[in-house]
Amino acid sequence: MVVIVLDNGAGTAKVGYSTDKQPRVIPNCVTKAKNVRTRIFIGDQIDECKDLSGLYYLLPFQKGYLVNWEVEKQVWDHMFGKDMLQVDFNEASIIMTEPYFNFRSIQEAMNEILFEEYQFKSVLRTNASYLSQYKKNQDNSQNPLCTLVLDSGYSFSHIVPYLKGKKLAEAIKRVHVGGKLLTNHLKEVISYRQLMVMDETYVINQLKEDVCYVSTQFMKDMEIARKKGSENTVMRDYVLPDYTHITRGYVRPIEETTGKAQGNEQIIRMNNERFAIPELLFHPSDVGIHEMGIAEALMLSVESTSKEMQPHLLGNILLTGGNCYLPGFEERFYMAVRSMAPTEFDISMTLPKNPVTYAWEGGVQLANDKDFEKMLVTREQFEEYGHNICLEKFDV
Amino acid sequence: MADKRESGRVKELQQRRILDEPARRRRQRKALEALEQDNFQDDPHADLKMSKKAPKFEESIEIGNIGQISSAKKKKKNRTEYFKYRLKKSFAALIEEEQLLSTDPPNYFSASTPPSKFPERHFCAVCGFPSSYICVSCGSRYCSVKCLGTHQDTRCLKWTA
Ligand SMILES: Nc1ncnc2c1ncn2[C@@H]1O[C@H](COP(=O)(O)OP(=O)(O)O)[C@@H](O)[C@H]1O
Ligand SMILES: [Zn+2]
Ligand SMILES: [Zn+2]
Repeated sequence: MVVIVLDNGAGTAKVGYSTDKQPRVIPNCVTKAKNVRTRIFIGDQIDECKDLSGLYYLLPFQKGYLVNWEVEKQVWDHMFGKDMLQVDFNEASIIMTEPYFNFRSIQEAMNEILFEEYQFKSVLRTNASYLSQYKKNQDNSQNPLCTLVLDSGYSFSHIVPYLKGKKLAEAIKRVHVGGKLLTNHLKEVISYRQLMVMDETYVINQLKEDVCYVSTQFMKDMEIARKKGSENTVMRDYVLPDYTHITRGYVRPIEETTGKAQGNEQIIRMNNERFAIPELLFHPSDVGIHEMGIAEALMLSVESTSKEMQPHLLGNILLTGGNCYLPGFEERFYMAVRSMAPTEFDISMTLPKNPVTYAWEGGVQLANDKDFEKMLVTREQFEEYGHNICLEKFDV
Repeated sequence: MADKRESGRVKELQQRRILDEPARRRRQRKALEALEQDNFQDDPHADLKMSKKAPKFEESIEIGNIGQISSAKKKKKNRTEYFKYRLKKSFAALIEEEQLLSTDPPNYFSASTPPSKFPERHFCAVCGFPSSYICVSCGSRYCSVKCLGTHQDTRCLKWTA
């Protein structure tokens, strides 16, 4: 059986055959470059672009939901086509993820595209956290009763509780802070304080991933960041790429951190920005978003489940999504949850080695499950029963 | 020279202006919308002639469907029409539709989180350090005389919406 696993994130699509060791992680967008006017770049084709300044993005997702199908279709055609997976659709099944509470019309469009346009043999639509908790359970011999998944990606962050592999939809919580917002806020702050970089999403996103971290001692780090000279251990100089001599931005070694540019290079001084930006995950109100942070939302989610379930959920928290890569994330999240949770409950967290591809890896394992075929809807079934059979079988 | 004197006078006038509450909220909303934006520059290829290679998704669906799906032709055509129409929905339209459906929770709306129970923290709009003062004109936060000066020279009433 040929199975393709596609964790279709709003930021990156994780895609590959269930026989692959690792997925390809490709930007889920079409990009136009300021200095390359002869072509566009679809998904990972952006790697062929030598000058990544002033990129213009066409994104299929808006606020976490698929709205621009024309762009998405281009990316999928590229992934499934001759340049990448060379899919034989008649023989292939697909596991595809989508956001929580996906809108009905998007679900239907998804069915139509997969069954009618691409003509996949069979389809399983699900959520990324389903695949993540599935993997966690498979890899754990004790098979815990509950899993509480944090899924913190590009558009937003969700807390999703599972009981025996079944999602507790009524306890799902969403915080509108994701990696996109962090990058945009960092662009804003740097543009105001230092250098106009509003057009430089690609570069500033890299800067974020290179130097930002989650503080475990916020006020203390603020004090350190006020200090001058070598006492300020927070400060870093980030050398921007110029795409002639410097092809990628980089952090200067601490010993060489002076806050001054050398020669012709351009630098950005990263001080309290390093930890104040990711802080939005924990305090959205820092920028006026009137929502709880992710740790508080986790407690809200747990409290809306039954009393018996709560210790099981807190005892098995799984951290997934790109923002969990931020240094200090797990420690801070643990501290925050610990401080709010009833003291008699143990709290246990797992941060996978790769929180971005973890759901995809779960999809690969699911494709080998003895019950996998029963979860699929075949093209014949779709032709006969239409959307209804998908509504019945897929728990999205 | 004349310019300088002019701007000094304008600044003084501005300093006496005070942003009212609706204007402050508008400004805040704009700032939040900016955090969602995909691009801050114009399409760099906007002036290029539409490439022949540019995909026409709708067309390709019709072609893809012909003769490959067993359902009746008429039904198929209707579906394709419907499909095209549906593909154009914005996020706002989807939300509106979802509200009209008014399904019982759990749904998109039940998953939203209320404001935090913890007190809000405040940071200087200029330097990002904790702040304890509020600009009387616009309500922004600042931490020191120096930052207030920068704020007044740059943002304070400059981008009033
Ligand atoms: N090392 C890192 N440090 C900080 N953020 C990261 C890192 N790696 C990825 N991210 C962020 O994670 C987000 C993408 O996460 P992902 O789980 O792939 O989201 P989605 O599935 O919604 O596309 C991006 O905003 C990206 O900047
Ligand atoms: Zn200040
Ligand atoms: Zn002001």
